[in-house]
Amino acid sequence: MADSRALILDRHRHLKWKWLDPLEAGLMVLCGLSIGMFTLTVLCDVVTRTIGAPWLWLQQVTTAFFAWGVFIGMAAATRRLDHFYLTEITKRMTGKPRNAIEIVNRVVVLLVAIAMVIFGWQNALLDLGSFRMPSLIPLTVYTAIVPIAGVLVALFTVEQLVNGWRHGFAGPEDSDDIRETLL
Amino acid sequence: MTAGGVLLLMTLLFLTFGYMGVPVTFALIAGVLVATFFTPISMQSMIGQLFHGIDAETLLAVPFFLLVGELMAASDVATRMIRLSQTLVGHLRGGLAQVVTVFSMFFAGISGSSVADVAVLTRTIAHDMKREGYDRAFTAALIASASTMANLIPPSIMAVVYGATGDVSIGGLFLAGVVPGVLVGIGLMVYSYFFGPVGVMKKRSSLTEVIVAARGSALPLVIPVIIMGGILSGWFTPTEAGMVAAVYIVVVLIPIINARHIRELPRDFMYAGLLYSLPMGAVAGASAFGWVVAFLRGPDIVANYITAFAGNDGATIMFLLVVLFVIVGDFIDAVPAIIIFMPIIRKLAEVGNINPLHMGVVIVTTLVFGLITPPYGLSLLVASKYVGVGFGKAVVRSLPLYIVFFLTIAFTVTFPKVVLWLPKQFLPESVGCFRSPSGTGYICPP
Repeated sequence: MADSRALILDRHRHLKWKWLDPLEAGLMVLCGLSIGMFTLTVLCDVVTRTIGAPWLWLQQVTTAFFAWGVFIGMAAATRRLDHFYLTEITKRMTGKPRNAIEIVNRVVVLLVAIAMVIFGWQNALLDLGSFRMPSLIPLTVYTAIVPIAGVLVALFTVEQLVNGWRHGFAGPEDSDDIRETLL
Repeated sequence: MTAGGVLLLMTLLFLTFGYMGVPVTFALIAGVLVATFFTPISMQSMIGQLFHGIDAETLLAVPFFLLVGELMAASDVATRMIRLSQTLVGHLRGGLAQVVTVFSMFFAGISGSSVADVAVLTRTIAHDMKREGYDRAFTAALIASASTMANLIPPSIMAVVYGATGDVSIGGLFLAGVVPGVLVGIGLMVYSYFFGPVGVMKKRSSLTEVIVAARGSALPLVIPVIIMGGILSGWFTPTEAGMVAAVYIVVVLIPIINARHIRELPRDFMYAGLLYSLPMGAVAGASAFGWVVAFLRGPDIVANYITAFAGNDGATIMFLLVVLFVIVGDFIDAVPAIIIFMPIIRKLAEVGNINPLHMGVVIVTTLVFGLITPPYGLSLLVASKYVGVGFGKAVVRSLPLYIVFFLTIAFTVTFPKVVLWLPKQFLPESVGCFRSPSGTGYICPP
């Protein structure tokens, strides 16, 4: 079984382009960085409050790292096929029906990603006029990650669609995944 | 289209996409976006809701408790607690089964993640259970059932999400979760003793062995003291307590107990960073979903149905909610379920005049049960995968253990005074008490 903690996951290799591997690794590093940074900022928050000199803007920096981490992780999980699924029913299927459902699933994800890019961008532009108090950080700094994550999710979904169309979606790892849902 | 029609369409789309294999987060958002077409809400404000759903300081506790669980599991520090559990209960009938339950109680006090508990146990004690002749289906069923305590005994990620979205004291929910958590533990021990496999009978550990094992576990067992002590003393918020526990593990525990693991820490952080984004992504989608539910007056629609049957009787409303959440928990992950249904829960708590903290602990206890029920019992799925047994077989072996959960839920619903006793003692405001005008003591609702 592949190491699920690896920087670049080797599972479902047939659905991946090699040239996007550094991007997956980069996103994983950013995931670690975001949780590390907001651990540090919450620590600083506690320390500065305890010594009677609180940095009021720290919580807002913390929230920014947290939110960016969520959406970056969402994009990384799309490439690693690590998201929560209600079922792995498609992995029990083979041939054309399997390909058809896998394609529909990815088209749904792609449409959601496109909506995140277009409407997330419009929302981020609107947020240029809103500010967090007391730091006066524009809200866009937080919400800009939504369209960015949308672009990444769309890219990884297209990658899987193209490779799945060429090589089929079924892979040697499916037997591991199926075992989870055998009834 | 009527509001009820839009709600139905949104729910059906979510379930259809979800069961076709679209990731939960995207299935939720897809349902919401289609529903938005039939409402006057703009698309960009709906997409903005994805961010606003996670923009809560209290939700930051989730990654910290996941990080704590991940660090404990990856650094093998938890094996010391397994050794302590073995010296305490390893000599009983079904010794290793008892060890699984007692260890899970200890681990529940450190981590808020059931999956982390499953990961530790399947990596360690499951192999010993196989060697001693426990069938793999029972091993998976027991480990999964015991792991649910991580979401009852504080700290609990479900309690954090419930408290953050339902405006209920997270500290209060932590304390209220102790009674159902311990009840599940006792129930599993009783079942293993009388009805589980016998295993290999061992002699009772000497007092010296217990003391040595306790000394070995002393440093990890400081973590529950840090978390609950910090929260109850008012020093830390739950988020900060999670951070302090994580820092304690990185700075004190790992260097002392397993120094070789230090070089693995960047990888732990990267993986924990990815792990927390999964439930939080679902929170983002679910909060947009819940927002549309609230906008379309979904709580009123459901409340009307339920009150038509139950009137304003709190106990009947709660019973119907338990039935609803047993079903919901079978199909949807607990975190999005809490957020999607929160407007409805709040409305019904108001109608039935139910203490919000009591309602919270009942809902969390019910959803915890969903972790081991098909088709979407996350803990059982993970346990059966790592133990190497078919999910169906593990479900069959879990069936008798469901009784423990039914009894615990029934107790939690029926005896609010017992369940809320701890929060009433330590965090009186969390159960609705307020300071007496005379300045001495609290005045509490009956």
